[in-house]
Amino acid sequence: MLLKKLSNSLTFAVAVIMIGFIVFAYSASVNKVTDFVIFCIYVLGFDVLYGHMGRISFGHTLYLGAGAYGAAMCAKYLVPDPFLAMAVGIGAGAALGLILGPIAVKTKGAAFALINVAFNQIGYFIVLVALAHYTGGEDGVSLDFNSYGFVDFRNVHFLFAFCLASLVAVYWLMHRLYGSAFGAMLLGIKENETRVRFLGYNTQAYKLVAFIISTSVSAFAGSLFVINYGFANPSFMDPARNVEVIFAALIGGPGTEFGAVVGGTAYMVISNYLAKYITRWEMFLGVALLIIAFGFRKGIMGYVRELVDKRIKAGAITK
Amino acid sequence: MLEVIAYGLTIGGILYIVSIGFSLTFGSMKIVNFAHGLVYAVGAYALYALLPVTNGNFVLAAILAILASLPVSYVIEKFVIRRLYGKSIDYAIIASYAVLLIGVDIIKWIWGASPVPLSDPVGVNARFFTMEIPFYRVIIIALSFVIFIALSVFFKKSIIGKIVIAGLADREAVLSLGIDIDKYFAIVFLLGSALASLGGILYGPISTVHPYMGFRIVTLCFAVVIVGGMGNLRGTAIASYVLGMVMAVTAWYWGAAADAMIFAVMAGVLIFRPIEV
Repeated sequence: MLLKKLSNSLTFAVAVIMIGFIVFAYSASVNKVTDFVIFCIYVLGFDVLYGHMGRISFGHTLYLGAGAYGAAMCAKYLVPDPFLAMAVGIGAGAALGLILGPIAVKTKGAAFALINVAFNQIGYFIVLVALAHYTGGEDGVSLDFNSYGFVDFRNVHFLFAFCLASLVAVYWLMHRLYGSAFGAMLLGIKENETRVRFLGYNTQAYKLVAFIISTSVSAFAGSLFVINYGFANPSFMDPARNVEVIFAALIGGPGTEFGAVVGGTAYMVISNYLAKYITRWEMFLGVALLIIAFGFRKGIMGYVRELVDKRIKAGAITK
Repeated sequence: MLEVIAYGLTIGGILYIVSIGFSLTFGSMKIVNFAHGLVYAVGAYALYALLPVTNGNFVLAAILAILASLPVSYVIEKFVIRRLYGKSIDYAIIASYAVLLIGVDIIKWIWGASPVPLSDPVGVNARFFTMEIPFYRVIIIALSFVIFIALSVFFKKSIIGKIVIAGLADREAVLSLGIDIDKYFAIVFLLGSALASLGGILYGPISTVHPYMGFRIVTLCFAVVIVGGMGNLRGTAIASYVLGMVMAVTAWYWGAAADAMIFAVMAGVLIFRPIEV
């Protein structure tokens, strides 16, 4: 029974995430693990659409980049206040979701995947060429953020703590979201949108809201990346980098918040620690994706979940 | 301005040749076949590898390159797309994306990450009234029109073409007539792949041949299909030439904006298109 309680408990999941990341950070490298934590927020944002609404976006870096450039432009041309930069970044992501969402959510499956790539290409062109005068083009912009007393984002320990707190906050929000009627509605849309519409719901509006949530969370991750690195360049919006988040969401197990965190961490560990042993990186990712597509559909968390459920059942029978 | 029209027709012709196969897979299976871009890139690279072998005979090298790229597309269709198609469209898309990634990396492995040089095989300029354009472009435009007419006849008159058109409109009805529609789609898939490879071969000498060229063409083909309508062959043709023109005119004013403009047009079409795709 303890196992069953634990496997559904939010407190337990949050505790595992916090302890896990803190131990990892202080036994490996705080700088790197801060990156991992931010990437997990990004995967959580991506998974709103994929795991819960069944829409896979192949252009999600656009929304990450929107947050990154929103924050960077605010810090460069307005005030270098980290909190305002974050707010502007999230606002940029939300605004982009609001503008592009109505077009994107009309589509599904393959069309949705590629619509986002197309938008991503436009965004990449805008930051790389069209607005190069402001964004610094290929070189990007380097930034310096204000600090207030102990609220100092140049202090790696504070930054790590802040990012971890952000991850927990986003995790909690997602948990609440999926547990709500809205989450059930998204699952309904994933399973059979026509039926949900026949029940009298305006599925378009629900999909749009989910889309905006996803772009905002991704943009939040983007602005955190900028604060972490102290610069923004077009690689934040590079369409060729979309495979990263897709891979992370798939390997962790789509459709669970914990799976997104596991997948994000798994991807970052592979790309940070194993990449030097893997000479052909894209081939590695491609082969891994093929394996996932053919036989590892549930991801790491899916299999852990299955194992736990089996144990719970076995326990119930012996009692 | 005449030059711009000629350039637009060249790009439009290439887009048409490449998109036709993409549009058929999209229309029949609702799958974005990323591997289509791989076949396009393989065509151009195979040409680059075969030109020295054939002592610079472009036509022979082109035919051999198309033949060399066919097994690639056959294997992709048979072992990746067909297997996943019945189970999940999402995973079929992911798998075809994975195939493109693997293919790009193999190309980088063999030929390196930087672009390889391919030069205009004709090298002579043609004069029409006051304008002067490379004769090679005239050949591409003419060839694309020939292919357009040939495909129109193929889909109207031949039994394979008729079955495929019927299958695009109503798959179940064709199946209930006892026709194995998948077999015919597989034939047309190979035909489309051969054309994609031809597109890469034709466009390689007048653009840059680099490992990521497949990614770019997939998104451009997608824009063509969205503007022209899924599995709509006439729409694909019209959209190709229109978008080719859009690219040429945009490039005339601002070279770097050409691709972005195509996607902006596509987004505009999607806003006003009532049906959901």
